[in-house]
Amino acid sequence: MTPDDPKPAHSARALFGLRLAALTVISLGGIILTQVSQIGTGAGFIVVGPRIFPTVVGVGFVVLGLLFLLRTTVLLDRDLVAEVTTEEATTEWSTTILALLSLVAYASLLHPLGYTLATALFFPVAGRILGSSRLRRDIIIGLALGFAIYLIFTRVLGVRLPAGLLTGIL
Amino acid sequence: MDVLTNLLHGFASALTPQYLLLAALGVTLGTAIGVLPGIGPALTVALLLPLTYNFDPTGALIMFAGIYYGGMYGGSTTSILLNTPGESASVATTFEGFAMAKSGRGGAALATAAVGSFVAGTISTLLLTFVAPVVARLALLFQPADYFSLTVLAFMSVTALVGKSLLRGMISLFIGLFIGLIGIDVLTGQPRLTFGMTELLDGIDVVVVAVGLFAVGEALYVASQMRHTKEEILPVNTSVWMNRDEWRRSWPAWLRGTLLGFPFGALPAGGAEIPTFLSYTTEKRLSKNKEEWGHGAIEGVAGPEAANNAAFSGVLVPLLTLGLPTSATAAILLVAFQIYNLQPGPLLFQKSPELIWALIASLYIGNVMLLVLNLPLIRIWIKILAIPRSVLYAGILVFGTLGVYSLSNSFVDVMIMYAIGVLGFIMRRYGFPVGPTILGVILLPMAEAQFRRALSISQGDPSVFFTRPLSLGLLVAAAGALLLPYIPVLIARLRRKPVDAGRVVFGEGQED
Repeated sequence: MTPDDPKPAHSARALFGLRLAALTVISLGGIILTQVSQIGTGAGFIVVGPRIFPTVVGVGFVVLGLLFLLRTTVLLDRDLVAEVTTEEATTEWSTTILALLSLVAYASLLHPLGYTLATALFFPVAGRILGSSRLRRDIIIGLALGFAIYLIFTRVLGVRLPAGLLTGIL
Repeated sequence: MDVLTNLLHGFASALTPQYLLLAALGVTLGTAIGVLPGIGPALTVALLLPLTYNFDPTGALIMFAGIYYGGMYGGSTTSILLNTPGESASVATTFEGFAMAKSGRGGAALATAAVGSFVAGTISTLLLTFVAPVVARLALLFQPADYFSLTVLAFMSVTALVGKSLLRGMISLFIGLFIGLIGIDVLTGQPRLTFGMTELLDGIDVVVVAVGLFAVGEALYVASQMRHTKEEILPVNTSVWMNRDEWRRSWPAWLRGTLLGFPFGALPAGGAEIPTFLSYTTEKRLSKNKEEWGHGAIEGVAGPEAANNAAFSGVLVPLLTLGLPTSATAAILLVAFQIYNLQPGPLLFQKSPELIWALIASLYIGNVMLLVLNLPLIRIWIKILAIPRSVLYAGILVFGTLGVYSLSNSFVDVMIMYAIGVLGFIMRRYGFPVGPTILGVILLPMAEAQFRRALSISQGDPSVFFTRPLSLGLLVAAAGALLLPYIPVLIARLRRKPVDAGRVVFGEGQED
């Protein structure tokens, strides 16, 4: 048995994840329905107000979420559980979370550092997280991408991008 | 001969050097990006959208048509050599295509895909040329109630026919409807579901949703499965061409694929997914060499690839004539139209005929260019496949962020896009199809506006949806789409036979 074969722990986590998904869908429906009361109905005579569709969607979420909860508990969808269990066994959460954090950092640095520097920094970091071991190559690609995109977009295509620290230099 | 005159005018403007260049650029860029594993035509168009902000509308749309064709063709190369479909519509190609490449016949598989795409593209553009003006005239008869029922049909057919579970498809659709509702209500000016965030007042752009679900969601998924994906690129040692026998076997498959692809693309049922799978099963059933299937039967590549290309022209019918996008790519194309303040629909044919016909003419031209470019350049495209996954996905994240950031230089937009990316990742992890979500986001505004308009006209009488024959017919078709997958089970039950398969499934529902 290799370490990647699904174990009971994986199957338990798959079930937990699916039930959590069902509960999230139900509570999202609840949130939508509480928000509906805050939607103003607008002035004047309107046959169908702005609340109807949000209400339908909110109720839909609750009903579908409850049905999905049934499929993960009493009327268990075994195929789905087996599928998710296999994936659970091969999932590396740490990489996923690191990738997401690097993205958030990238977006927050776009304005203060400028597009070019933020991209030059993000590319090797993301490459590393996604499994690259050639740091020097990635740094070069990152720099090249940052400069090329910035120059092409601002000079040729007329799309605004922040210059950040390099204001006046680029 | 109204159509022919218009078409000739279209050719006259599409054949100017500037537009020819844009078409060539579009086809080349589209192929280059489409070849990248995991990137389908929808994402290709979304990522390249900022490139065209400075062009005139005709030029931009011509380029997009080229990008789309190129993206589709590039995707088939990836499916055949890497067994990684960039979108659900090329899943059917991987079965026999990858098998052919493994047995050393990758060259023939690539050739039948390229020539088949050309044949299907040309025939289906011809069909589009003659069908679209007729539908545009019919579309003038559509009233709000009919439009609403049409969106219901689109929702139901995509949700019910695609993906493994109707329930998960419906949840996915409702997620899309929810995202579509966020923002100011157009009719009353009331903010809805914005949770007090002023950035959400304008709603969430389709590009933000598409890039989030497809680019970021996919990259996070790849990150999560990183240790377990093995890359295997199959070399192409033979020439990229077919022998006489392969030609003989490809022809009928191309034609049947085209005939399946165009009408299914034109129906509001989600584009190329269903016809490619139908083509695959049809070819398998008709084949005289059944023992070859699974080991590389050329019909299994020729048919689905032709269907895939033909479906694109089909999808353009409802998009151009009714303003109804039925696939993710069509939705992004609609965004491209809207950037230039053009609203596709019956009136577009009357208001901007020169644009429509230049676009249709450029489809013919793009097709020829694709064939001329792709067969000789195929070895360069194959080199792109060798880009390591880490570099590739880091690059996709850079371009995805760029695509959204360049819309309005907004940090919040980018954050929303990442959040939708996380949503896409979770959906993929737990087996929810993302196709219905995109469709929900795109079609919700139209569905709601037409629903409310219909009821205003009827002064609140909901029977208007059932008394107009057209609307009733569309709603009946929607109900039929919901029931269709269960019919084989019902028949089996009635005959008291053991039920082996649950419901019939068309495709995986991972359109991207």
